Amino acid sequence: MNRRMPPPLKALALLIYLLLLAPLAIVVAVSFGASPNFDFPPTDLTLRWYRAFFANGEFVSAFFKVSLVLGLAAAVLACALGIVAATALVRFRFRGREALEAFFLAPLFIPEILFGAALYLTYARLGIKPSMTSLLLGHVVICVPFVIRNVMAGLVGLDPRLEEAAMSLGASRLQAFVKVALPLIRSSVLSGFIFAFIISFSDINLALFITGPNSTTLPVFIFNLLLFEGDPSVAAASTLQIVIIGLLIWLVQRLFQPRTLV
Amino acid sequence: MNDSPKRRTWAAILVLPLALYLVIFLVVPFINIIVLSFYTYSPTRIWVPELTSANYAALADGTFLTVLLRTLRLGLVCTAICALLGYPVAYFLARSERRVATIGLFLLVTPLMVSAVIRTFGWLVILGRRGLINSALTALGLDRLPLLYNETAVVIGLVNVFLPFMVLPLMASIERINPALEEAARNLGATWFGMFRRVILPLSRPGLISGCLLVYSAAISAFVIPVLMGGARVRVVGRLIYDQLLISYQWPNASAIATLLVIVTTSLSFVALAITRRTARQEQGT
Repeated sequence: MNRRMPPPLKALALLIYLLLLAPLAIVVAVSFGASPNFDFPPTDLTLRWYRAFFANGEFVSAFFKVSLVLGLAAAVLACALGIVAATALVRFRFRGREALEAFFLAPLFIPEILFGAALYLTYARLGIKPSMTSLLLGHVVICVPFVIRNVMAGLVGLDPRLEEAAMSLGASRLQAFVKVALPLIRSSVLSGFIFAFIISFSDINLALFITGPNSTTLPVFIFNLLLFEGDPSVAAASTLQIVIIGLLIWLVQRLFQPRTLV
Repeated sequence: MNDSPKRRTWAAILVLPLALYLVIFLVVPFINIIVLSFYTYSPTRIWVPELTSANYAALADGTFLTVLLRTLRLGLVCTAICALLGYPVAYFLARSERRVATIGLFLLVTPLMVSAVIRTFGWLVILGRRGLINSALTALGLDRLPLLYNETAVVIGLVNVFLPFMVLPLMASIERINPALEEAARNLGATWFGMFRRVILPLSRPGLISGCLLVYSAAISAFVIPVLMGGARVRVVGRLIYDQLLISYQWPNASAIATLLVIVTTSLSFVALAITRRTARQEQGT
């Protein structure tokens, strides 16, 4: 279906893509380079920065014990709260439904740095110390809109008569939802889960404010290293993060056309 | 048509957990900073609960206004560049064949989802003192250029990180324009650019507006990019809030700044949302 797109336009689009992807490509390249000074292009290929990363206990724990665990926990909680709420928004008609939907999506529109500051001040006032749990509770807030959007999109496309049929055959409302609707919208649910995970996994704005001795997340760890000029093991850890996120986005695309991202 | 009372009770039970959660962890923190912004600063106890408007009056101070104006200016420049760069990409994605569009979308969304820290890190390697560009310059026998720690560097970083926020709504808007309109304009003798200016540009305006608002509100509240790429010289509001909270403990003052910024950014974003909704509804109606 070529609609005669002018070649200069294509070239321009590709050039912009190149600029968009350049920083990520550079990070990946540097992580395999032998020079400790982030020289580019790399002269020799090496895995020593990956070894250096895995040898650094604090770094590994920020990656696997904090960020990864936090991302999974935030995604599970956001799904638990979000699927139920999204179902109500799609399947029921009641006054204030649109206002409620806007409220559930509101975290998307509030700058995270301001939410981080607000949460920090509230915790400080209540005497709650920064920990993985207190950060998790904040992450759930910014993850929920992604679950709501994906699950709502899935449910809108699902004929409610399927559930009604199950109920007329003797299933309870809950059974009809769990056994009929949920399996049919599983790719939407999975997309929501993956986005929720990624949002928590790559968040820095909340984590900067709510960071304690044992709850330093990977982005915060990298940020601190960059402020004090770290070595390319930062690039190695970053590359691992890029690969994980790239694979997850690819998976979402296979499941679902993510047209409702922003 | 609303549901029966019994079904309405069910709906209430289902939305209650999330609504309560967001009230506790989102609404209460923001009410808290609004309250704090009216409390009196105390050098020994950080704040005392005596109401004052001094924190807002203090915002009229020259240093803060400089930082605020710089932030708003950088946001404006970043938004304009994003709009300029966003159109070619959005048009390309909207009008290319499905397979190309899928790959293009993947290459747009993946950087968007990778932490801003990592994307900024890439720019540090490119623009740094010993970075890609400066190494090339020294190899050619030229002097090194101070590419980092100035406003240009911050704009480069902001545009790079927030460009997808512009492209996605623009793409959605352009996809909805009937390609027959483009054909008609071309058949009637318009050049491609003439067609773009008279067909695509006016019809994609809702996408452009919502993209601009999203980019602008993200850019004026950015923190990581200005800190890493602008250094101490390019102080922005996000950094000011962070410093006042965690370094100088000026909590009431920081709360006032945050309250101000949150009102500006959320109203911008809700305008963007309203525009998107209205367009969607108009199309359903026709």
